[in-house]
Order: sequence, then structure tokens, then C-alpha cells
Amino acid sequence: MPSPFLTPGSTAGPDTVALLHLRRDQTIPTILRTFDDQNLGYKEGKVSNTRFGSFPHSTLIDQPWGSQIAASKVDTGSRGRRGPSKRKADELDTPGTTTGADDDTPSLSKPVAAGSGFLHLMYPTPESWTLSLPHRTQVVYTPDYSYILHRLRARAGGTVIEAGAGSGSFTHAAVRAVFNGYPQEQPANKKQRLGKVCSFEFHEQRAKAVRQEISDHGLNGLVEVTHRDVYEGGFLLGDPQTGQSPKANAIFLDLPAPWLALKHLVRKPASGAESPLDPNSAAYLCTFSPCLEQAEKTIRVMRQLSWLNISMVEVNHNRIDVKRERIGLDCEGIRGATVYPKTVEEAVVKLQEDDERAKRLRQAHYDGKTDDPKVQEDKTRSSKESAIPASTGPSYSQGRLIHRSEPELKTHTSYLVFAVLPRDWTEEDEQKCRQQWPSQKLDAPEPKGGKSRRQAKREAKEKCMEEIKAGENAQPTVEKVEEGNEA
Amino acid sequence: MHSSIRPHQFVAVQLPSEQTRLVKLVPNTIVNLGKYGSFSANQVIGRPFYLTFEILDTPESDGYGLRIVSATELHAETLIEEAEADGEGDDAEAGDGTPLRTNREIVDDASTQRLTLEEIEELKKEASGAGKDIVAKLLESHSALDQKTAFSLAKYTLRKRKKYIRRFTILPLDVNLLVNYSLQERDAGRTMELRDEHIGLLGCLANVHHGGQVMTDPIPDVKPNGRYLVVDETGGLIVAAMAERMGILYPRDDEDLESEEQHSTNEGKEQTKEVGGAGSKPYRRIRPRPMSAAGNTITVVHAYSQPNLSLLKYFGYDTNNPDESHPLHTNLKTISWLQLVNPESDPILSAELPFMPAQELAELKPSKRTAYFFKRNRWERVKNVVNEAREGGFDGLVVATLLTPASIFKHLVPRLAGSAPVAMYSPTAEPLVELMDLYSTGRRTAFITKKRELTQNSSDNEEVDLSSLYDEFELDPTLLLAPTLHHSRVRAWQVLPGRTHPLMTGRGGAEGYLFHGVRVIPTADHIQAAGTFRKRRKVVTSTPTTDQDVEMAT
Repeated sequence: MPSPFLTPGSTAGPDTVALLHLRRDQTIPTILRTFDDQNLGYKEGKVSNTRFGSFPHSTLIDQPWGSQIAASKVDTGSRGRRGPSKRKADELDTPGTTTGADDDTPSLSKPVAAGSGFLHLMYPTPESWTLSLPHRTQVVYTPDYSYILHRLRARAGGTVIEAGAGSGSFTHAAVRAVFNGYPQEQPANKKQRLGKVCSFEFHEQRAKAVRQEISDHGLNGLVEVTHRDVYEGGFLLGDPQTGQSPKANAIFLDLPAPWLALKHLVRKPASGAESPLDPNSAAYLCTFSPCLEQAEKTIRVMRQLSWLNISMVEVNHNRIDVKRERIGLDCEGIRGATVYPKTVEEAVVKLQEDDERAKRLRQAHYDGKTDDPKVQEDKTRSSKESAIPASTGPSYSQGRLIHRSEPELKTHTSYLVFAVLPRDWTEEDEQKCRQQWPSQKLDAPEPKGGKSRRQAKREAKEKCMEEIKAGENAQPTVEKVEEGNEA
Repeated sequence: MHSSIRPHQFVAVQLPSEQTRLVKLVPNTIVNLGKYGSFSANQVIGRPFYLTFEILDTPESDGYGLRIVSATELHAETLIEEAEADGEGDDAEAGDGTPLRTNREIVDDASTQRLTLEEIEELKKEASGAGKDIVAKLLESHSALDQKTAFSLAKYTLRKRKKYIRRFTILPLDVNLLVNYSLQERDAGRTMELRDEHIGLLGCLANVHHGGQVMTDPIPDVKPNGRYLVVDETGGLIVAAMAERMGILYPRDDEDLESEEQHSTNEGKEQTKEVGGAGSKPYRRIRPRPMSAAGNTITVVHAYSQPNLSLLKYFGYDTNNPDESHPLHTNLKTISWLQLVNPESDPILSAELPFMPAQELAELKPSKRTAYFFKRNRWERVKNVVNEAREGGFDGLVVATLLTPASIFKHLVPRLAGSAPVAMYSPTAEPLVELMDLYSTGRRTAFITKKRELTQNSSDNEEVDLSSLYDEFELDPTLLLAPTLHHSRVRAWQVLPGRTHPLMTGRGGAEGYLFHGVRVIPTADHIQAAGTFRKRRKVVTSTPTTDQDVEMAT
């Protein structure tokens, strides 16, 4: 089954993961089902209930991705009275009678559209998944993992080792980076290296949860989850000693003590086991540690183990809010606006008005005409109906456009330490290379101004025409050979 | 892909001064590194990347004039320092009589270095050991060396070494390196001051990835995967970065040979095919048609008649002289704004040549025939690309441009498939802030209200005239969900034993901002937002507006 993360297609098929987008930063992941998989007893089949209404999956399945979907009227009340626990008890009382029959009859009632409420049906991406995933540990967020994967050169066809699968956000991003085809579609006789993520997690329950998630997301075969403590066991697949090497090009360590795992990430492990690194390419490494001491210790061990180009960075990311800021005495009653003079002129007019009003009130007080409706009006009214003209135009384009950081910032995530380990290069390799590329052989520098471009082109054309003639003799159908000329 | 240094490949040569040079390694030639010396290309071809070489004063017997510097040697100083620190323990400096060295006594003038300029020049001429001798001599003859603190000594050694040591490191030329090279060594403005963190985030936000294998027998109705729209005014850097993510940037080489066959059949090209029977004729190579791939493609929309993708030359793809085996040859499509927006008036598209049967062709003069093929093929190619682009259904949009964002979004956002992301980079915040405002909640509410009014006023069967709507609203704010503005910046640290701190200086200039949104398909009927938040409104006593209601839609 293709994964909706990688090849979502154009519509939301059954049994795929979909994200129900309610509002910014509020998304509910769900698996679309044509039947009531948790047996919750809805008449409409499986239903997702949100704060903006209920959405039977029959209204979602086979809709184009990105569609706005209206909520439906779903009877949640009577179902609630039955309750799943009671239902279970019923099942036990009368085994194999009613419930089995219920499941077999797919005659689900048709959903009725509700008056209000909607959501958007989205396919999952590592980014949206990162924002909606169930937290098991600290999550590696998009700004960090995007930079890490770029620096790790995690590219289509590569293999990434990830230790500390955690909540699985990095796993999803990494598998997208290396993806270049599903393994089951690979014809047996052709050997193209397919991208793969080898994920290690030492917490058994978390490892199990990640494995389940991977299978739900259609990523089986692209991600291999191993439950192991990599400090001790290393990074081979299967058996820690004799297992198969993942042949990794890139390694990401999100561990409390990455330096303890580094001894396994060498070209020739002391234990005599196979190296988990790809022997034919440089290995890129990144460790992710929140504390400076951890990073320092890691770098020390990296230097001892001959890692090169060691560098440490931190990523500062913030989201920026954009809004319109309105200031002025004419903004009274407008949400989010500040009632305050916007210019000196406005302030002067306001001061004069206030002064005059005060004078009138004083005068009225002297005259004893406080009951006069005009005076009453003066007392109560504020500057609302002042001489300042209200600004015109639609409200959405009023005020000054401003931008600033979101209210809560993540000021530190972790220190990222990057390093690279070149391929192993033996004296033997070197000698072979010297034979192939003799050290002293030198060509005479190319004479300047050889064939002109034009001349070269003409020659190529002539050659081409000859070829055509030859081709026509053999076969009258004209092949499109000349198209190369167009460049 | 980057397993070893290939002949005729562009590589980056890093010098001790931290300078980087991009060099094409042609076999049997000499590469000159200026004051650091020169080396023969043959002596590095075939070797792994990331090795540091030292230029020997006297070549080995077989003429090999380089020495590979081991990692231990590169880290030597730090390793020694660390070992010493371990031996002394932490309280070594504070106690036992030896006073802490400070810079109190140091008088900074030229007299401390006892070697004169002439002497140094002399040394340079005769010194051996790839400059190590010079550095050692300089250190020796520095009169105030024993007064220096560990920190300043380290700095002094480093400075001298950068100047004199004859070493270089060969790095693979990939997008990561090119980004930093463009930023530091060249006119950064030409690549819009793009940084690594922007490239990474841009690709992730736009969900750019390989589209998977193309089915051997494609089902006609299934849309191909991995089609991306790109607007790139960074000279091809964005295209290169996206192509790298999609696995189509690097030329296929020998080590991927097994995979090549599969690729080529899948992507609509054939290797070689025997023409005619009886073995009388030689093989004829059927060339892959340019821009012919169905999936895993990049479509670049450009403002001038030709796109500027000059940086792609570093990856073996030259737009003027295309290498037909390069994946970009089939998977990179280009289309001008004129062809996209107003194809009728495009000079190429409007000049269709009538199809000529083979017999008629055979009677033509060779030059005429060539001209016919050239024009016919060009017309066909452009027509296919234009039709495909106008049909839409793209999986993502990546933008880094000088054009006003709104004008791009107006034409390209409707051509995205539902749920497809949009990511745009800008060196400055202002264009993106304006763009954010075009998708503001207030504007969207006003748009929906006005649209409803217009549709209600007209009768059922009549085509609704929405032109007045688009006069007021430049683009349809209901097509993008959750518009977000990001800013990301990486801060580099120096990590040395006891001297860990962020780097003291860095590059200023453009901050770099990213816009992100997701294309959605609004329903035709009007839907009321649910969740009226009545309770909250009572608390907030200021007058309620429609904003609150619709906020849930974001």
C-alpha cells in the first residue's frame, strides 16, 4: 500500500491516514475507515468528533485531498447511553449472536448535513504530523530536522540511522528525504539502492508504538525499527554481533550520551563486527544534545575517533505574527484597536474639544441648567462624535501592517554537532589509484581557439544527416533523431 | 554519488585560509592554488572526499607529490591539550604558586617578532615541510611567546598556519557547499542571500521529495507523483536544491549502473535499440526527449524568454549544451510566464508547423528537413509542457523571486492540487508581510461575504460575474490555509577545550523569511463556521466582530 506521506494520490482512500485540520495548529490524525473499527456504535460507521462538529468517515473517504468538508448531524447521545463497556458485557452474555451480525451488515445510515461546522481534509506530511503526533518524548521540530537532514546529505536512495526514535517526528522526515521507491515494487532482477531509515529505540513500549505507527502509515519496508540499547548493542540490524550492516550514509543520534554510541560508528569496530557505515561513501553524523557539556564530551570523542569537519550550531527559529495595528481616536469600538490620538493634530483637536465641553458644563452648572438634555449629552458622550473624520475603506485594509515574533518562543532546542567520517583509504587502494591515474602524466595545455562553436555544430549536423540516410535505407519510418539539434 | 573524486567533476578545494575554490578536475592537468602551491589533478582523482592533502616539497619516486594528512594529525593540538588538561586536573591553574598568565605584560608591537620581513620571505623560498617549518620558526623567534596566554597562543599559531601551511581539502560540490560558497565567496545578492537553514526549511515546508518509481504500466487516470512548480531567481540554486531532494540533481554514474537501466525505461526513454533486422545496421541511440518525464519533475516558470539556471553547470547540467543522460534533461521543464498565462500570443506556440508525412519529408532538402524537425519538435515540447502546466494539479510550489508575491500566487496557487503546500523565500520581511495580509482573516471574511452576495443576487443558471470581486481582492484568500511566516537562523559555536563560545562574528545582511501555506479546495456551498464562542465574547467586552467567528477556519 502506498503511504499517504509519500505518494498521497489525489483522493483520500479508505484505510489511509488523514489529518483533519480544524484550525491553525489544531489537527486530528485519524485512519479513514469504511466501517466502525472501534465498534463505537455509530449508525454512520466510523465518526470523528471534533469541537466543530461530527464527521462520519463516509463523508471523507474518496474526497479530493484539501477539500473543505461540512459537519454532519450525528446522534452521539443515544450511543453514549449504551456505552462501550456495557456493550462488551452484552457480548459476553450472548456470545456470537447480535454483535457479529451487526458488523456484517454494512447498511450504514447516510449522514445528514449539519447546519454549521467544517474542517479541511489533508494528507499527512512530516511537518503536519510533527505538529499533531502523540508525544512520547521531546519532539525534534521542523526547523531543526530540516536543517539536520540538509546537512546530513540525506538524499533519495540513502540510508539513515536514527537512534532514539522517540516520538517519530524525525523518522517521518528522514524517510521522506531518502525515499526513492517502495521495496515491494522493485523488480527482483534490478538492483537499485532504495532509501531506508533504520531506527533504534531502547524503550520497549516506544519502539512498539513507533513500529505500529510505521505500519499504519504504510512505511513498512522503508523504516526498520529495532528495539535496542545502542550504547551496548551497536547499530547492526538483527543480531547485535553478527547482524547485517545497514550501510548507513547518515546518522542522527538523539541520545542522552551520544559519545557512548560513537564507538560503534567506526570503519573497523574493535569487536570485529561489521561496520554499520556504508564502505563506499563518507558518513555524515549529527548529534542532538540540549546541554553544552554533552556536546563538548561528544566532540572530544569525535576527535579521538577521527571524525572531521566537526562543527556545532544551534538553530533559532520563530514564527512571525502579522496583523494590522490601528491607532486613532476614531477607532473606538473596533476590536484590537487602540484609542489614542494618532497625530499631534488629532491630539490638539481633542484637547480643544474637551476644553470647550468642560467650559459648557461649567457654564451650565453656574446657570443651574443641568437638566438640559444638551448638557446631559455633553456629560455622557465621549469624543466619539468629535470633529475627527472617521477613516474610510474596508476594515481589513485599515491601520498599519506590522509583524513581530509569536508570543512564546522556543529560545533553545538543542546543540547540533555535525561531523563527517571519510571512506577508509588503504595503501592498497592508493596504489591501485596511482596506476589508474599516473601521477606525472600531463597533457599539453589545450590550444586556444580550436574549433569554433559554429564549426562544431556544422560537423555534428553533417554526421547526423549521414546517420539519417543510413537509417532510412534500413527502415522507412522516420525516427526522431534530430531533436538533439534544437539545442 | 559522492563515493570518490571523479574526473571531469566539479569539486570544492578548501584552503587553510578557509577560502573555497570550485575546480573542475580534468585528468592530466595541474590545479593551481596560488600561494599554497599547485598539484596535479591525477593525484587526487579516484581518492575519497574529505581527505586533507599536504603538498610535498619533493615528490615520491613515482612522481606522487601529495601526502594524506591523517585526522589525528589534524586534531593533534586539541587532542594534546585535552590530554594535558586531563593530567593536570581542574585546579592546576588556581593553586601551587604558578600564577595565572594574563595579557597584562604584553606590549603589542612589531618588535616582538624578531624575524624581519626579508627573513620570512627567504624562509618561504627555502622552507620545507609544507610551511610547517615557517610556522615553527615564527613561533620560535617570537620574543614574547612565553608571556602569551594559552588563548592568544592558540590564536597566533592558527593565524600563522593559515598563512603559510600548504594543505588543501577536497570536498564534494553539493547544494550545501554551493550555498555557503555563494554566500561567502561570491556576490551573495545573486542567490538572494540564501542560507542552509532556509534551503532545508523551504524544501521541507514545500514537502519536496522523490515521487517514487513510475509504474511500468501506468494506469491512465492516476496522476503522476512528485510534480513541483518552482519560481527561481537565484540563478538555479533553488532548482538545484529541490532537484537534490528529488534525486535528479547528480548525473548517473558507473556505480549506479544497475539502476540506470531501470530508470531509463521507466522514464520514457530507451537505451539503445537495434534498428532493422539482419544485423546490417549499427545500433542507433534513441535520445531521451527533453522535458518528457511524467512524474518527479520540476517545472520552472521564468520571466525572460530563457530561464537563468547557470548554477546547474556545477552539477553537470548546462542548459546551453544539455547532457542527455543527465536526469534533469527529462525531468526539468521550463515555461515562461507568457506561455503560462497567455499561450495564444507566445511566438513558439502560435507557430505550429503542419504535420508532414514521412514521404514528403524524404523529398525535402536535408537542411529544410532539419529545420522542420527542429521547429516541429520544439513546438511539440513547448505545447506539452504548457498544456500540462495549465492543467495544474502540482504537488507543491517553491518560490524565491523578485516579482511581487501576489502576482505569482494569483496564477500559480490555483494550479496546485488540494493539500499541496506553498513555500516562498524572501530575503526581507516586507513582501511576505504584505502577502500574509492578503490572506488575513478579515480579508477572507470580507471575500466570502461579498462572494455570497454576488452569487445570491444572480439567478441560478446564470454564470456569476465575479469580476468585481477580483477587482477588490487581488487573489482568492480562501485557497490557502494556515498562512504562516517563519524566520530561522543558525548560530555557530566554537568548541575547543575550555574555550567554548559562539563565534564572535558572523555574516549580516538579509535575515531571510519564509512563507508557508497549504492549498485547499473550498466548497461551493456556504458553510457556517461552528463554535460561536459566545462565552468568550461576553468576557471580552469590546465589540464583537466577524473575525472571531471565522478564526476557526484558519
